[in-house]
Amino acid sequence: MIGLNHLSKHYGDTKAVDDVSLTIDKGSVVAIVGTSGSGKSTLLRLVNRLIEPTSGHVTLDGQDTRALPAFELRRRIGYVIQDHGLFPHWTVARNIATVPRLLGWSKARIEARVEELLTLLSLDPAAIGPRFPHQLSGGQMQRVGVARALAAEPELLLMDEPFGALDPVLRGKAQADLRAIQRTLGTTILLVTHDMAEAIALSDRIAVMRAGRVEQFAPPAEILARPATDFVRALVGEGERAFRYLSLTPVGSLAEAGAAEGAPLPADATAAEALNALIWRGTESLALEGGGRVTRSALLRAGHP
Amino acid sequence: MIPNRLALVLAVPLAAGLALPFAGLRANRIAAAEPVWLWQALGAPAAIGIALLAVLTVMWGRVLAAPALAAWLALMGVVAHRLTAGGPDFARVSPGAGFWLGAVALALLLADALAQRRPGPVARLTWLAAAWAALALLLQGWGHVSILQEYAARYMTFWAEAQRHLALALGSFAGAVLVGVPLGVLIQRRAGWRGPVMGTLTAIQTVPSIALFGLLILPLGWLATHVPMARAVGIGGIGMAPAFVALFLYALLPIVTNTVAGLRGIPASVAEAARGMGLSPRQRLARVDIPLALPVILTGARIVLVQNIGLATIGALIGAGGFGTFVFQGLGQTAPDLILLGALPTVALAFSAQVVFDALIDLLPGARA
Ligand SMILES: Nc1ncnc2c1ncn2[C@@H]1O[C@H](COP(=O)(O)OP(=O)(O)OP(=O)(O)O)[C@@H](O)[C@H]1O
Ligand SMILES: [Mg+2]
Repeated sequence: MIGLNHLSKHYGDTKAVDDVSLTIDKGSVVAIVGTSGSGKSTLLRLVNRLIEPTSGHVTLDGQDTRALPAFELRRRIGYVIQDHGLFPHWTVARNIATVPRLLGWSKARIEARVEELLTLLSLDPAAIGPRFPHQLSGGQMQRVGVARALAAEPELLLMDEPFGALDPVLRGKAQADLRAIQRTLGTTILLVTHDMAEAIALSDRIAVMRAGRVEQFAPPAEILARPATDFVRALVGEGERAFRYLSLTPVGSLAEAGAAEGAPLPADATAAEALNALIWRGTESLALEGGGRVTRSALLRAGHP
Repeated sequence: MIPNRLALVLAVPLAAGLALPFAGLRANRIAAAEPVWLWQALGAPAAIGIALLAVLTVMWGRVLAAPALAAWLALMGVVAHRLTAGGPDFARVSPGAGFWLGAVALALLLADALAQRRPGPVARLTWLAAAWAALALLLQGWGHVSILQEYAARYMTFWAEAQRHLALALGSFAGAVLVGVPLGVLIQRRAGWRGPVMGTLTAIQTVPSIALFGLLILPLGWLATHVPMARAVGIGGIGMAPAFVALFLYALLPIVTNTVAGLRGIPASVAEAARGMGLSPRQRLARVDIPLALPVILTGARIVLVQNIGLATIGALIGAGGFGTFVFQGLGQTAPDLILLGALPTVALAFSAQVVFDALIDLLPGARA
């Protein structure tokens, strides 16, 4: 469990972060969204003490993070940034081994961990491990950045717009990978993003920031259904609200008995994907894998609270 | 094969080299030289043969440049041997304008031929070692060439001065690196110090070298007379100490500037990642900052090394020794061969230092991303 207690960071008159208190459950994913300059990165960097707060403090499993030297604390917290920041003079394997080496792991253990992580992120250890960062594609660099952050089995993973530089296709793939990894490892993740759809797709809770303050901290469905302020409402995007809401619902939960024409949809597809298929095929209902069907009216009803 | 454009351009000095006097014959070491042409020294048929070989060299420069240059140097030894045979003992044969022009043209041809192969760092070091070996071998045949005679007359002092020259140039270089890199790191971290430090170093750089030697004589002389310890370790107003200090001061600016530039060139995301991963300040410096700035720092170091090897000659003016000793003695005695005995090794050293350093920079792993 991570606790942010009355955290503030002021730069002169600018209140980059202004009295923020949040509790993040172990194993959950929290997304921080907000407009540019709202203090998202600052909040993230207060957690691993890249910045020291003007006031307030952070607890990690109940322990005040100021109890440790900052660099020791950071070795327990994974950190992924948008430009990945891979060390250009080290191979991929050496990059991933950064924190394990700092922690003095044995050579064999480090090698095994590097191989495990590269495989987890669908990179071929034999081919990619010995390369230097400039020999990788943007998507590969980004994945190596994630692998490096996960290397020492951190209790918490901080990600500052980790997918910001990727094209939409890679972005979708990277998000799916992250969800899978998070499910496997159970890591607690605090993720900064500009992209509301990304926040909804990835997180258990969303913190909406504006001018250094958290305007709402709630699960995605609640943010969509009951935006606390006009700012949150605007950020959610009223024009896309229904589709975003649908994207939170697995189509399997709307299934009813019966048969339908056409290729069946996987049961873990979202209701948004199902509606899309329904419109495109021009039918009234869709078959689901594993039996049953979903009807147009069920989908339309699921598009609002 | 069609010769490349550079080879055609170099054909002009090469032809001039064949047409101008190849050597100068003098009754003694300071007498005026009498020009000797190749055909006079070797006979017309041999001279025509050499001219034909020169044409072939221009046509197939890539293959023939190295053997042609070696042959050209050897030819000087042969000509000197011929001209002095049976003559008076103190008659001198020195290389003439033709020889030098031809040698430069062939050296450029060779440099071009090497550059076209794009040799890797190890290959370049090998070539340099081979060049030194070949030169040592060829100079064996130069026993009758005036420069080598100057050398033979003072080979003991030659090597002593060579040592002093190297000690002066390399010592002040090492000192400048040891002080300059930490200084660069420091002013990169403390923005407030940057202005004063860079200002001082730039001001030093603008003082002409001889004036700086002169300026240092006073304080170091004072130190020598008032601090017995200083004199005991060889510090004095003239000699090695002021030359060393002057070279060291000149060397600081390029080292510090390049250290700062190298550190500034580190991408912000890499610096952020190094901090975020939990490297301690010292680990960041040793494992990330310095290795990444190293190519730029080494570029500065290369400038300094070459600059110091050249500047060290001036140290002879205030009694620091080195190859400059021969240059200034030669100037005083109007003995051009003696000047060359000081100047040529200096040039060769500076050139070699440059090649070695460039190779070292290229050998850094992953730094050339
Ligand atoms: N070192 C600093 N000195 C002064 N002001 C700063 C500093 N760092 C951040 N700020 C200010 O604090 C505010 C929040 O910055 P922050 O980088 O946290 O925003 P952000 O939400 O991450 O924005 P973006 O989405 O553009 O990355 C901004 O107004 C910024 O100008
Ligand atoms: Mg930011």
